[in-house]
Amino acid sequence: MFSLVKSMSLEGLNGYLVEVQSDVSGGLPSFDIVGLPDTRVKEAKERVKAAIKNSGIDFPSRKIIINLAPADIRKEGTFFDLPMAIGILIAIEELDKTTLKDFEKTIFLGELSLDGKINSINGILPMCIEAMKLGIKKVIIPKENEVEASIIKGIDIIPVTNLLEVINYIKGKKVIDKNNSLNNFNLENENKYMVDFSEVKGQENAKRALEIAAAGGHNCLLIGSPGSGKTMLSERLITILPDLTFEEALEITKIHSISGEIEKGGGLRTIRPFRRPHHTSSPVSIIGGGRIPKPGEISLAHFGVLFLDELPEFKKSTLEVLRGPLEDGNVTISRVNSTLTYPCNFMLIASMNPCPCGYYGTDDNKCNCKESSIQKYIGQVSGPLLDRIDLHIEVKPVEYKKVSSDEKVESSAEIKKRVNKARKIQIERYKGLNIYSNSELTPNLIEQYCKLNKNSKIILEMAFERLGLSGRAYGRILKVARTIADLDNSEKIEQNHVAEAIQYRNLDRKYWKRG
Amino acid sequence: MKEININDDIYPNMLKKIKNPPKKLFVEGDLENLNSNCISIVGSRECTEYGKRWCEKFIKKFSRYDITIVSGLALGIDGIAHRQALNSNMKTIAVLPCGLNNIFPNEHKGLFKQILKNGGTVISEYESETKAEYQKFLERNRIVAGLSIATLVVEAAYRSGTTVTARIAKEAKRDVFCIPGSLDNIKSLGTNILIQKGYKMAISPNDIISNYNFLERKKRKVKKEQISKEYKDLYCIINNEPKDINYIMKKTKIDLSELMVKLTMLELEGKIKKVAGNRYIKI
Repeated sequence: MFSLVKSMSLEGLNGYLVEVQSDVSGGLPSFDIVGLPDTRVKEAKERVKAAIKNSGIDFPSRKIIINLAPADIRKEGTFFDLPMAIGILIAIEELDKTTLKDFEKTIFLGELSLDGKINSINGILPMCIEAMKLGIKKVIIPKENEVEASIIKGIDIIPVTNLLEVINYIKGKKVIDKNNSLNNFNLENENKYMVDFSEVKGQENAKRALEIAAAGGHNCLLIGSPGSGKTMLSERLITILPDLTFEEALEITKIHSISGEIEKGGGLRTIRPFRRPHHTSSPVSIIGGGRIPKPGEISLAHFGVLFLDELPEFKKSTLEVLRGPLEDGNVTISRVNSTLTYPCNFMLIASMNPCPCGYYGTDDNKCNCKESSIQKYIGQVSGPLLDRIDLHIEVKPVEYKKVSSDEKVESSAEIKKRVNKARKIQIERYKGLNIYSNSELTPNLIEQYCKLNKNSKIILEMAFERLGLSGRAYGRILKVARTIADLDNSEKIEQNHVAEAIQYRNLDRKYWKRG
Repeated sequence: MKEININDDIYPNMLKKIKNPPKKLFVEGDLENLNSNCISIVGSRECTEYGKRWCEKFIKKFSRYDITIVSGLALGIDGIAHRQALNSNMKTIAVLPCGLNNIFPNEHKGLFKQILKNGGTVISEYESETKAEYQKFLERNRIVAGLSIATLVVEAAYRSGTTVTARIAKEAKRDVFCIPGSLDNIKSLGTNILIQKGYKMAISPNDIISNYNFLERKKRKVKKEQISKEYKDLYCIINNEPKDINYIMKKTKIDLSELMVKLTMLELEGKIKKVAGNRYIKI
């Protein structure tokens, strides 16, 4: 007998429909899966066999062939266990598909245990989104993925825990209700982060710089001695970034879903991701890849922050791969099996010591580094990468007195209010240009939107002449000045905005250079 | 390029007096500098922030007198000395360990041109195509020391070329001054040992200048620029010790973004300077 059960698979960020066709016929007992299955899919054989047997049904000693159509796309993952089991049961007439309403418009997803339990799988969200687009009415999914799947409205989510439950459900013996109370996510929840800027005492200049970075979406580089609070500050950056919109949250959740980064029972990701790859990470782990490409750290940091601690310690090849994605906001990965594009619209925050010993520029003149070695150390970060970093922030350790004082410090919520306001101005200004923040301005647009008045021009000229700024600083200063003006709610860029922006180009200054 | 012989009038007088003066010199740039009052600055090629800072401070003070700075165009202290001399509108002489068409080190080709452009001089005792070799560095050092009335050792590692230059200078009966350094700093060990051996210690530029009453003070353009009122409070707080921006903010009670604007303005006017670590000092 032949049967057909619908299921889904993933290609990149999108799901596609897979038909699980089962045929059970006479002949020597065998069990074969065709349709380009990878090892994980092939191993389903044993899981399906044991799960059916342990659910109290005899596994047929006949010739079984399962085809996964379309047969020309490589299938991977464990989501086909459940549809295969159901397909076999229908094919041996243990189940009757007519007893389930809308069986043709039902999708089965789930991994089986040997005892028939149904385990959670990755990528539920993108698959459910695609299912809804295809007009599917019901999805039968593992109970653990229920919250994630229920982000999608307009489709019946049937959470199940074991194979027997599914069998009884199809037979009409058991009613499984959709839990409707799961859809309560709040994108504007105030206390969703574990950290807050009010915990950072002192460091006013760094906080101001990060506020500007958040307001304009600028990439920044924190330079400071060990223990000066670079990491602490960076971790708190996401707390002042604007709230996610539903579309953004959905896209983040999709990426995290297919990478298996969503914790058990988790639903929509309402907070911005903060990714912090170790400096031994390989280029592939950063931008994504693999035989069948998977999203890398930059895609997992989509709409959030990618924090590279100890920047010069990263391998050169790892840093250089960031150049394209930083510019484009997405990354295309080509492999023999497929070519996929993942979004990666992230803010880059990097941190580094000012010199090999780490103490160059501290008050007690602890640093005994040779000038040449300081140069070499800074030189490890390539010019093209520095070109994509708008703000250089120098961070200094805070004295004990300040750390222990009860001085009142501004909280993230207060800073965020100003950031949100500045972002709104930008979104309004760049309507129809397909960009959302000042950091995305191209040279052409800089000319159009960052016009300077006469006084500002003079200041900028003088800065280049007297402070030894390098040419690459020009566009960066204008962009940052634009953001400062937005924070100031000023339509024009005034001279004080430019003057402040100049202060954030430390690495272009002479004192970092030879001699 | 000019070639001058030991018997020429223009041949530097001071240099004639050493034990083995070069027979001829190849000179590029202003010849007059060769017979001016020279102070040579020597130090480590791999200097530290400390050496750089004090080297610059001493030269700044020297710039008030008619002094020419002599050094070897090497990396580190030499380069810093030449640059600071140029910045302070002083004449400077670079003595090369190689031919004049074969500048060593490569990184300082730009500096070489700058020195010539600003009325400085570059000399060498070697034919124009000669390449730099280890032996020639020591030979060069005798000219550096020989040209000058005094030699200032800024930073020197233990048993380095710099300490050799100090010894050569002493043998030529020239004054040698050493800037003392921290015991933590290995690049100050050489200078500290020199002091221990009886070389003179220079704590301030005056320790050197006061020995030579023939040095004339340059007429300074007395132009006490006024600091406008709004910057006055701020300017008073910043002094020769680097001050952190958060500290300045606390003291002046100016709003941070406004403070940054004011600091930029003062910086552009050339009143203050930003140094590593987001700190500011007076110029």
